[in-house]
Amino acid sequence: MNASNLATGKHVVVTDFDGGEGILVDLNTKRYFQLNETAMIVWKGLEQGKTIGEIVSDFTSSYEVEADHAALSVKRLVDSFQTYKLVSAK
Amino acid sequence: MPVDAVVANGRPGLSWMNMAGVRLEEPFFQQTVDRVKAEQSDAPELFTEFDTLVQVEKTFDSVEPTGFIFHSSRCGSTLVANACRAIAGAIVLSEPAAADKLIARFITDTDETGTKEALYSVFLRGVVKALGQRRAGDERCLFVKFSCCSVSQIDRIRRIWPGVPCLFLYREPVETMVSNLQNVPAWLVDEDRRVLASMIGSSSEAISEMSLEELCARAIGSFYSTANRVANSRTLLLNYNQLSLAEITNVLQFFGVGPAAAEMESIAHLSQKYSKADRAFVADAEAKQQIATDLIRDMAQTWAVTPYRLLEQKRLEHKRS
Repeated sequence: MNASNLATGKHVVVTDFDGGEGILVDLNTKRYFQLNETAMIVWKGLEQGKTIGEIVSDFTSSYEVEADHAALSVKRLVDSFQTYKLVSAK
Repeated sequence: MPVDAVVANGRPGLSWMNMAGVRLEEPFFQQTVDRVKAEQSDAPELFTEFDTLVQVEKTFDSVEPTGFIFHSSRCGSTLVANACRAIAGAIVLSEPAAADKLIARFITDTDETGTKEALYSVFLRGVVKALGQRRAGDERCLFVKFSCCSVSQIDRIRRIWPGVPCLFLYREPVETMVSNLQNVPAWLVDEDRRVLASMIGSSSEAISEMSLEELCARAIGSFYSTANRVANSRTLLLNYNQLSLAEITNVLQFFGVGPAAAEMESIAHLSQKYSKADRAFVADAEAKQQIATDLIRDMAQTWAVTPYRLLEQKRLEHKRS
């Protein structure tokens, strides 16, 4: 999976909340998603068109986390975004 | 501007009105809304769901909150709000329904995950941003006076705006109760008893059995206790019996605003009038004490006097330090 092939949906609005957390609003379904700090970093990375590797690097440079573990977390989050159709192929 | 938080056809959202060119000059925001409705009977009200607020919030040119006014009801908070209004470039939002109803949602619509709390926080922030828009262009400060019940959610409000200084204004319990029982406010007889029940730590069923005197005493007792618990260096405590031009100036300075001479003159003029109507102010503490019934005194003694004294103690400690 290459995150650079994914784009955040134009129908999704993100707003910061409480420091690093955030809320996503899917304007098509009117569903709201609460994102923790980690999920927000992934979302913002996707918004900026970063690859999975670049997003994982963001994690490992900011937090004390193994690259493998960070990669797995990022993949899970991206999968969730895809499941809920919050991101789509470019 | 969002003038109310409503549920339309089962969908929660906001009611908006075009308030371009409208000055928020009445003592309460709702009075301004009512005036606009009366002047423009065909003024359209637009309903949107909250996702619209989240979308448009980022486009607003708004003033960040300068100070928040919390209070224990019938204690001079409207006078302080009016004084804030005398400052050039000030926007004063006095108990706007949309904000206070969203704050009540923190109590009436919760979930275990905290997602709803986060959502209502984002909506509340958006509503204040929408209400605090620069509409004339020269606005530079924004004061929000919340309804008395909103103090119960001050922790959540502070989580949204951690740096904003807060004033808590209060009055001696018997006098506060006499005023509330002479002219019973909507919050005390709200059919949805969940907010009151949460505030006083009881159930909706139990409070339906309580006298108004007991309910009022327990509610204001809870306001004092909350204020005492959260008071810190970003909180100014002010007793109604201390209200004076000098104290009002002190409040403004606490909010980071230094009133100019002309503004001071306006505030001095305001302080001689009754804050909610255009008539001269008459001190009524003694009169209220005299007409208090035995039941009011009993209930005040049972539920409100101790938290009031503790709060007074805290205020005096703050003043000394």
